[in-house]
Amino acid sequence: MSAAADVSRWKARLPAAFGPSPRQRAFRIAGGTLFLAWLAWALWLFDITPQRLWNGLSGLFTIIRLMIPPLPGELWQDILKGIAESVAMAFLGTVLAAVFAIPLGFLGARNIVTSTLLRFSLRRVFDGLRGVDQLIWALAFVRAVGLGPLAGVLALFVSDLATLSKLYAEAIENAERRQAEGVVAAGGSHLMAVRFGILPQVLPLMLAQALYFFESNTRSASILGVVGAGGIGLQIAERIKVRHWDEVAFIIILMVITVGVIDWIGGKLRRRLIGGRDIS
Amino acid sequence: MLELQNLTRRFGARAAVDDVSLSVPAGQMVGIIGRSGAGKSTLLRMVNRLTEPTSGRILHDGTDVTALRGKALRDWRTRCAMIFQQFNLVQRLDVLTNVLVGRLNHRPGPWGTISSLFLRFSPEERAMALDALDRFDLAEQALQRADTLSGGQQQRVAIARAMLQEPKLLLADEPIASLDPRNARVVMEALRDVNRRDGLTVLVNLHHLDTARRYCDRIIAMQDGRIVFDGPPAALDARQVHAIYGVPEEALEAETPHAPASAVPA
Repeated sequence: MSAAADVSRWKARLPAAFGPSPRQRAFRIAGGTLFLAWLAWALWLFDITPQRLWNGLSGLFTIIRLMIPPLPGELWQDILKGIAESVAMAFLGTVLAAVFAIPLGFLGARNIVTSTLLRFSLRRVFDGLRGVDQLIWALAFVRAVGLGPLAGVLALFVSDLATLSKLYAEAIENAERRQAEGVVAAGGSHLMAVRFGILPQVLPLMLAQALYFFESNTRSASILGVVGAGGIGLQIAERIKVRHWDEVAFIIILMVITVGVIDWIGGKLRRRLIGGRDIS
Repeated sequence: MLELQNLTRRFGARAAVDDVSLSVPAGQMVGIIGRSGAGKSTLLRMVNRLTEPTSGRILHDGTDVTALRGKALRDWRTRCAMIFQQFNLVQRLDVLTNVLVGRLNHRPGPWGTISSLFLRFSPEERAMALDALDRFDLAEQALQRADTLSGGQQQRVAIARAMLQEPKLLLADEPIASLDPRNARVVMEALRDVNRRDGLTVLVNLHHLDTARRYCDRIIAMQDGRIVFDGPPAALDARQVHAIYGVPEEALEAETPHAPASAVPA
């Protein structure tokens, strides 16, 4: 039996194994064309041309030239204070969000709360809160509680609470059933099954995600200051206004170092949490 | 001919495989038995170079396998196919693509690499894969995702993948330890079939003495990383079984009924 005969025999028996049918192929080509057309339309809409990108680049180079060498300036104490404030805001916002997200995550998880109505409405609330950006929350809280870090902490808290609750709920839904089943089989209540069968599985993940959020919030906190919600952002905005780009560069470098240190410590902790066993 | 010379592998202070020397003529079906932790898996993994030996040499038809690097090493791995206790299929790919993985090292050059990355396999290769699946009664499942198959089916897909490598040797690391008795028999018969019909040398790690006795030409028993028995099944007497497993054979059979019931990690 020759190889060619083999191919034709299999093609007759299982045509789908040899690639998409003409119909599928037509769908794929249509989909691909649509995607490319959309892309081209978006580029055309915003008038994005190589010419404009090139001109923008030269403007960027001017700023970079003004940034060198980075200098702390006379008000360097304000800069350090601002960074400390941003880190503190991020810390407070993340911790509060992570703590409140744990019960909300359990309430939003399909395998814990069997009442569809409660779970569904809770998750739509999360989605709604997440639909509003941190910056909008910051603007709202600045109006509500006045200028300063409290507005920033509240903005981080609300937006992270929604995102973390959703992530936690998904982590809980992906937890292995069998471990909880073992607890139930030993006579444990539903609550005990969650405490002993589910929580030990998801707690390391929850902490790891919270650490990620702390790092990312430190960066966000620098933006929130621009709208008056405390932290280093205010310092950056002021210096950009008066074109002290060398001092802006100094702040940026300090921010990068700060975030880098937090990420490094967070990474070490995450490895220990996820690799380790003695989390209860 | 596969030759192992003074092969040793240490994990820290403990020697998982301790100074093993062995030669296996082409076309033999060899069962390696012993308790968990006796070094069976490490021995097999060293032959495929998934685990590096601490010292000693592996020779195949005069080639020093232990010295191979890069492309030559990948060629060697293609020649000695391996199947695993947990099947090691890609769960999210369909069965056919899983089997075609066996062809990857047969597709030379940059074009071969690029077409592999985009899952572009030729009709001949596809027909070849379907033939291999058909041989183990799995042609109907070719387009299903691997994770929809039962354990026994998955192990047969793994054997089909191995066959597409066109190997000289087949290494099977506890291939039936996660399967029920009926599927275990089907898989063992598939292994014996590739040994008899295709002339492949088969090295198979087994927990169970009676399986090794039934299917293998030669039995090697390991204990604490060393070979304590090497001979035809008939030569393995009660005294030796007692020494290998630490209990008499009758007790062994009472402990482990003919069904290898559940997954016992090696």
